[in-house]
Amino acid sequence: MSKTEEASRPPDAFEIWRQLYDANEQAWSAALEQAMGSREFGESSGKLLETLLAAQKSVRESMRTYLETMNVPTREDIARLGELVVGLEEKVDQLGDRLDGIEEALRTKRGKAGT
Amino acid sequence: VTTSTRVTWPDPESLWSSNDRALDMARAILGSADAPVGLTPKELIWRKNKARLYRYVRPGPATHQTPVFLILPLINRAYILDLRPGASFVEFLVGEGFDVFLIDWGTPGDEDRGLDITTLVTRYLPRAAKAIQKATGKDQMTALGYCIGGALATCFTAIHPEAIRNLVLLTAPLDFADAGQFGRMTARDIFPVDQLTATFPTVPGQVPDIGSKLLNPIANYVGTYQRLWERLGDPDFDVQGWQAMYRWVNDSVPFAGAAFRQWIVEFYQENRLARDTLEMDEKPVRLASIRCPVLNIAASRDQIAPRATTSIVTNRVGSEDASEILIEGGHVGIVVGRTASQNLWPRVGIWLTEHD
Repeated sequence: MSKTEEASRPPDAFEIWRQLYDANEQAWSAALEQAMGSREFGESSGKLLETLLAAQKSVRESMRTYLETMNVPTREDIARLGELVVGLEEKVDQLGDRLDGIEEALRTKRGKAGT
Repeated sequence: VTTSTRVTWPDPESLWSSNDRALDMARAILGSADAPVGLTPKELIWRKNKARLYRYVRPGPATHQTPVFLILPLINRAYILDLRPGASFVEFLVGEGFDVFLIDWGTPGDEDRGLDITTLVTRYLPRAAKAIQKATGKDQMTALGYCIGGALATCFTAIHPEAIRNLVLLTAPLDFADAGQFGRMTARDIFPVDQLTATFPTVPGQVPDIGSKLLNPIANYVGTYQRLWERLGDPDFDVQGWQAMYRWVNDSVPFAGAAFRQWIVEFYQENRLARDTLEMDEKPVRLASIRCPVLNIAASRDQIAPRATTSIVTNRVGSEDASEILIEGGHVGIVVGRTASQNLWPRVGIWLTEHD
């Protein structure tokens, strides 16, 4: 291929993008970092999150009311059952801890009696 | 020599080549969800609720006396320390002759909305440690905590110093007086933590995930794909390695509501651990109570746990043997990056051997 043909060849679109990115990435990052480090950005993102949460809460409450009306268990009902199971597991663990403590005390007592 | 001034747009050759690469890129991204991870053989030795304690299978008896207890963060999948063969800190430790245990916190559900950090530190970790003591017959172990797991390991060691022979902290944020961008994002008068945890029983994993990615948005949202595109042209590019890492980065875990609230309020906003005002189950949690040898590892380009948040431990613990290593790299890169096997892992291995 001649030099003229090569020169007339259209550039690879990705190559143009890569050069643009390489040349500007640090400047873009620095600008964004500065913008997002500001108090204004923090306040604005906090307000945005609050709004999204209010919308989400409203959806969840509507869904719960609907499911309760339909006599269908809600997520909260199922979670409550799960909490009971987790609580029971903790009780069993506590009993296990107490048994371990008793076994340890007995071992110590036997050890002392043997010496 | 022929001359021509005809311009073809688009150039068919470049178009087909770009098209092929775009398909490779899509395949790499879409296939990442099934990338094999966490392959080092392990056995389950204890469980509680969603938490699982694993012991990694050794080909023979451990050549070191002190078992290593890996405590992982709550918001990431545990396989980051066992990403894939050749890129696994766990595999390295097992190969060096350590008896390695790892606690995977699992995925909390709505029923775990009341599960807080205090419960994890005072009810879960002591029992997991007891399971390690029973499995090994050793009274003490090395606690190695990564990120939030490091904060948990620190609190646990402060409350139960008798169980811990050494404490290794890997990019663990403990002092939030100057917590960088995360600190600004979660400031008391800005971040609606109460509303968030009242709305969601478990805070969706995307919340902390987006927060982390916003620390460097160009690199995380554009650079990742830019680099993938470039590297797909390299015949030596390890696509499976990229997929494993991409899978982990996007495989976020929900944060139990009460644990998230406690992390933001008591650690970030009130900085109780550094101010010596943290209490768990009415027990004071004091850095000065930690008297075992401590190795604190910081990453030079860490934006998630900047050095200002990690360096406190070496000066404040009650131990006479507390040292810090600063490793070139980012929060995750130093653990699984290309240089981890030549830098972080051997340095930790040597320190653990010296303190066995």
